[in-house]
Amino acid sequence: MVSKESCRNEIRAAIRQLSDRCLYSAAKWAGEQLVGIEQDPSNFTPSNTRFQRGSSSIRRRFSTSESITTPQPSVGFSQAVTPLPEEDEVIDGDLYLLAKSYFDCREYRRASHVLRDQMSNKSVFLRCYALYLAGEKRKEEEMIELEGPLGKSDAINRELVSLERELSALKRSGAIDSFGLYLYGVVLKEKGNESLARASLVESVNSYPWNWSAWSELQSLCTSIEILNSLNLSNHWMKEFFLANAYQELRMHTESLAKYDYLQGIFSFSNYIQAQTAKAQYSLREFDQVEIMFEDLLRNDPYRVEDMDLYSNVLYAKEACAALSYLAHKVFLTDKYRPESCCIIGNYYSLKGQHEKAVMYFRRALKLNKKYLSAWTLMGHEYVEMKNTPAAIDAYRRAVDINPCDYRAWYGLGQAYEMMGMPFYALHYFRKSIFFLPNDSRLWIAMAKCYQTEQLYMLEEAIKCYKRAVNCTDTEGIALNQLAKLHQKLGRNEEAAFYFEKDLERMDAEGLEGPNMFEALVFLATHFKTHKKFEEAEVYCTRLLDYSGPEKEKAKSLLRGIRMAQTGFPSMDIEHFPL
Amino acid sequence: MAGLTRTAGAFSVTPHKISVCILLEIYAPSAQYLSYPFHSVSEHNRLGLYLLSLTKSCDDIFEPTLEELLHQLRGIGGSMDAWLTGQLIKRFSSLSSPDDLMTFFNEIRGILGNGFVQDDQIILDPNSNLGMFVRRCILAFNLLSFEGVCHLFSSIEVYCKEELCYSAQYGASDKNLESLTQYDQMDMEYVMDKATEKLELQKNACGSLPFHLHTPEALFKVTEGLLITRKEKLRTSKKTTEATPVACSSSSTVEDTLADESLFLRTNLQIQGFLMEQANKIEIHGSSFSSSPIESFLEQLQNLAPELHRVHFLRYLNKLHSDDYFSALDNLLRYFDYSAGTEGFDLVPPSTGCSMYGRYEIALLCLGMMHFRFGHPNLALEVLTEAVRVSQQLSNDTCLAYTLAAMSNLLSEMGIASTTSVLGSSYSPVTSTASSLSVQQRVYILLKESLRRADSLKLRRLVASNHLAMAKFELMHVQRPLLSFGPKASIRHKTCPVSVCKEIRLGAHLISDFSSENSTMTVDGSLSTIWLKNLQKRWGQDMFSHDSGSRKSSIFFQFYDRLVSIPGSVSQLIGASYLLRATSWELFGSAPMARMNTLVYATLFGDSSSSSDAELAYLKLIQHLALYKGYKDAFAALKIAEEKFLTVSKSKMLLLKLQLLHEHALHRGNLKLAQRMCNELGGLASTTMGVDMELKVEASLREARTLLAAKQYSQAANVAHSLFCTCHKFNLQIEKASVLLLLAEIHKKSGNAVLGLPYALASISFCQSFNLDLLKASATLTLAELWLGLGSNHAKRALDLLHGAFPMILGHGGLELRARAYIFEANCYLSDPSFSVSTDSETVLDSLRQASDELEALEYHELAAEALYLISMVYDKLGQLEKREEAAALFKMHILALENPQDVEPNMA
Repeated sequence: MVSKESCRNEIRAAIRQLSDRCLYSAAKWAGEQLVGIEQDPSNFTPSNTRFQRGSSSIRRRFSTSESITTPQPSVGFSQAVTPLPEEDEVIDGDLYLLAKSYFDCREYRRASHVLRDQMSNKSVFLRCYALYLAGEKRKEEEMIELEGPLGKSDAINRELVSLERELSALKRSGAIDSFGLYLYGVVLKEKGNESLARASLVESVNSYPWNWSAWSELQSLCTSIEILNSLNLSNHWMKEFFLANAYQELRMHTESLAKYDYLQGIFSFSNYIQAQTAKAQYSLREFDQVEIMFEDLLRNDPYRVEDMDLYSNVLYAKEACAALSYLAHKVFLTDKYRPESCCIIGNYYSLKGQHEKAVMYFRRALKLNKKYLSAWTLMGHEYVEMKNTPAAIDAYRRAVDINPCDYRAWYGLGQAYEMMGMPFYALHYFRKSIFFLPNDSRLWIAMAKCYQTEQLYMLEEAIKCYKRAVNCTDTEGIALNQLAKLHQKLGRNEEAAFYFEKDLERMDAEGLEGPNMFEALVFLATHFKTHKKFEEAEVYCTRLLDYSGPEKEKAKSLLRGIRMAQTGFPSMDIEHFPL
Repeated sequence: MAGLTRTAGAFSVTPHKISVCILLEIYAPSAQYLSYPFHSVSEHNRLGLYLLSLTKSCDDIFEPTLEELLHQLRGIGGSMDAWLTGQLIKRFSSLSSPDDLMTFFNEIRGILGNGFVQDDQIILDPNSNLGMFVRRCILAFNLLSFEGVCHLFSSIEVYCKEELCYSAQYGASDKNLESLTQYDQMDMEYVMDKATEKLELQKNACGSLPFHLHTPEALFKVTEGLLITRKEKLRTSKKTTEATPVACSSSSTVEDTLADESLFLRTNLQIQGFLMEQANKIEIHGSSFSSSPIESFLEQLQNLAPELHRVHFLRYLNKLHSDDYFSALDNLLRYFDYSAGTEGFDLVPPSTGCSMYGRYEIALLCLGMMHFRFGHPNLALEVLTEAVRVSQQLSNDTCLAYTLAAMSNLLSEMGIASTTSVLGSSYSPVTSTASSLSVQQRVYILLKESLRRADSLKLRRLVASNHLAMAKFELMHVQRPLLSFGPKASIRHKTCPVSVCKEIRLGAHLISDFSSENSTMTVDGSLSTIWLKNLQKRWGQDMFSHDSGSRKSSIFFQFYDRLVSIPGSVSQLIGASYLLRATSWELFGSAPMARMNTLVYATLFGDSSSSSDAELAYLKLIQHLALYKGYKDAFAALKIAEEKFLTVSKSKMLLLKLQLLHEHALHRGNLKLAQRMCNELGGLASTTMGVDMELKVEASLREARTLLAAKQYSQAANVAHSLFCTCHKFNLQIEKASVLLLLAEIHKKSGNAVLGLPYALASISFCQSFNLDLLKASATLTLAELWLGLGSNHAKRALDLLHGAFPMILGHGGLELRARAYIFEANCYLSDPSFSVSTDSETVLDSLRQASDELEALEYHELAAEALYLISMVYDKLGQLEKREEAAALFKMHILALENPQDVEPNMA
């Protein structure tokens, strides 16, 4: 098992090494996890306590209760003692120091030039890494310069070729360390050689597991569960982080949540874990919980911009204008040129009904990151609101082409086509969206509505869809009512009665009233009356009597009819007598 | 959203375009620029023509490299070429800084005559094609930012380097090297270094990976590499990448350094033209076209031009023809999602009004046709109904006309019985009025509607194809008078050959006025492409031939030929009209006319038609051969055709083979084989995909005939009776006539002439009202035979009947029918008591000899034996014993062959 202490020591060493190699985002991530570990009380320093005081009482309650109920032994995942990362040679060459400071000033080419003749592993890595980043920077610039009439964007990182050549030579000769392998993996991935890239990254994380950047590159290459399972990863607690993340991306939210739950045993104060948990909960549509978590997160880390777009989505869904504007203001002040910030502002305008402005901000977000999936989808929504369907379709399609599993965009496409009066065409898109999220009643209901449109009028299919929606615990209660009505329309009164009763039960349970209720009661009363089940009919009639309006009169006349029938008058026959 | 905001026709400056500009400067030099003394006007024109085709040709998506360009320049030949290449290279090498580019474009401006013209100066009209080109280049250059100029400059370096490397390796144009600046030479060395470095690297890779299969090829590529055209390079290296994951790390290195720069797409127009040509190819060759090369270049194109959405459509077409339903669907939807159906050529402005909402109704139309092709008629109908509705809503009449045509096509092909529910639910006025009618009537109404709209919208191609469809409809479906109320109204069915003919003629009018509609772009483009290709071909031949005069004329001829050529779709339509003519003549009973039309089709339209149509033409010709020339020729032709159409999906060749084998077996008396073929035909008729009614009818017809040949009269009659009922049920009027005739035959053979007579008469009257002349003639023959069967006192009447039908039989009938008529004539004479053999023997002998010759070719033993028997009898009467013995021997041979058919069983089965 891994003790918190050993974890701490590992991470501390890793941070030093990572930042020594200028792998800053990995170092940042490791740092976050380091302070996420519950402090051991023996070496509390004032700064530590200050940090931890910020955490909310809620979380403390959660975490403590958990640590009581699930005692330490649960953390038994790696029997093998994980080796501490070896300390580097203490003295860096002077040139290395110079190169690193160039690197820190973002003068990548200069940095790599300084290291041109250095042969140590560390220098080679930094040189290659600096070269890679220089190429990336140039690529970004060229992308804008070269943008041609047909969207020609064949800008590539010109360093890839030489880097690949060098790294593969190093790999063959065995003179490559795990950081080099990481870089090699990245280069291979950029070149489109995914399987080789995976192999290289796996090798890298197996020999040096603390490099989160390598893990996340590896995760982006795991596009299916089969690939994920086929990876040959050695056990380490970092693997759990990886798996949790990978599960989440593969839409296996419950598995992912379980992993995070478990990791919280050690890293009980990790913001990262909390944000990821919130993400998973968001996908499971637990908005209230997610909101609490994000509030909590912002309290601890008020200048955080990452993942805040998700928070804004939650606020949007809850129509919390004030909170959303507050959030937008805050991220705007923190860093206005982050895609997330633009997206949050866009969401705000959308909620206010100012769709043109919202589109402008989504566009800005997309300018900052062309592959920003949710911005494309959200922009599509805005265009739908603006009734600009071709633009909406284009936006949704781009989202789908970036990530074909994005069920929201598929759904949006379906909706857009339905809006244009092409329900049959739209069905294909609804089907696609349901394929990726089969447990969502809203999607089933949308499809059912599509079948129900007057152009198609395929009621049998609509009924099937509504049935699926009911099975997926339809929270809005549309499906049951529609099922009942459809059956009624098709003259299947038995089934209609069944669903009306169910709907009634649901409404009773939720304490709802309304026209649906009257409709159900009236139908049930008449239905049972015609089937001579007078007792049931009377029950429904008396319930109807509680309400005023035409229904009450209807109930009264029904009751009269029932009485007549019960007393034995052949009431029906009267009508047949010639008058 | 980039797709919606960008203008489709944008244009960017590339090194290749600069080359063209340089050449243009030579073609039309500005006043201060040194001009080349052209020897003759034709030489000058030749250069102009070359430049024109450079800007228009559409044979690839990439612009040619400098090396290819120089190669072509050599092709236009004469004394110009050395000077031209020299100038070109000199001009390029003088561009040593971005500033030189600026001055270059300033100079170029001078070649557009602006106001001030000197006497002898050739000016380029700014509004001509070439002038426009120059203006676009200048405009595009002026729009470039400094970064853009830098990019252009560095790509020019690469563009030149490759050529120099090439010339250095082969020492071909050494003289140009001298004019190089120091700077360029340095660069060239650098390139050479790189090449050798790569070579070494490749060797390393090979050494460590001996199992890599593609190594020799890759090695060859590096040494030869700079010569191979870029496209090939990309393709081969793609292949290597697929081969082994380990090896590709090395091979892709080569690909990148060679191909990463200077991959310049041609102008939008040229690419669109190229894509259209590819689409045509896909369509013509159908599934026999291997789809992977197209797919790979489409992928490339998509990477290079992600906003060119037509690529998706082409991918859809490609997948459609290789029967890949899922990716076809995916690509179709993607295309319309991105382009909203409005992306077209920049020459054709999108028609106003519709573009605001997109034109998704076209998506529906395409989707419907796709479902149709993949055999989902119900889905297709559903989608097309939606298309009708949406195009009515958006008042897109063009689309509506096409949709209606597609719908009627669908209905007539599928003849769905359960369409009422689908059509009934729709709200469109067109289809809902049709809901109470039969499928045929609905087809008719849809066609009429489509035709009306197409006519008013002047969609000539659609009008033509609608006319053809109408002709087909008239041909296939038997009209009954519309006012058939009450018991007294006549319910006679009839066909109307005149209207068929009219429709076909109207359809063929297309050829006279296609020019008003076709897109000039592709024709121009392909013209230029042909011209350029010729240039290269000729350059290769040049080494061997010095006869320049004849060469020129042949090129001119080809050029001219292309000029009058017509767009593929038009020629396809006209081809279809010929095929339809052939079919209608076949039905109405004129074999020579049918044969002629088929031949016209096969020779003139065979290239441009889709392979399934071409197959049909071959099929018809082979059937004709079998009927008129005997089986030997037919089987030989079949073998050729089978090889040719091996790859066509849903090939009809097997069907034809079965039919031929059946006929052959029947004639030879090999009844077992015939029965087997019959059964196989029946199997083909009802597959898992559905039942083919016509085929089924044919199979049972053949079964009845086999039974008849086996002298199982009652069984044959049973089969024929039930067949007649089926035909009646499914409204197959024309087939009814032949079934009636068969029944008459059966009764005749069973010796029950009295029973046969009414059937024969009914058949004749059917044939009369449906204008089936040949069938009528053969029914008349049967009728005559029946009369004779009643007794020899009816011989006179029988002979009269026969002589009435003789012109038709001899003019259009097949071998069998003619032989039967001859034999029967002889029979009539012989059984006529007033006829004396000894005086008038030649009348009889002549017909009998004719018959026996024709039956010989047909290998119809039974009838041949009959003819020979009669001959020998006649000779016997005449007392010519020698000839009698000869005929008798032949008779014996046929009888023996008939009795043991197995020993001469054809190896075809």
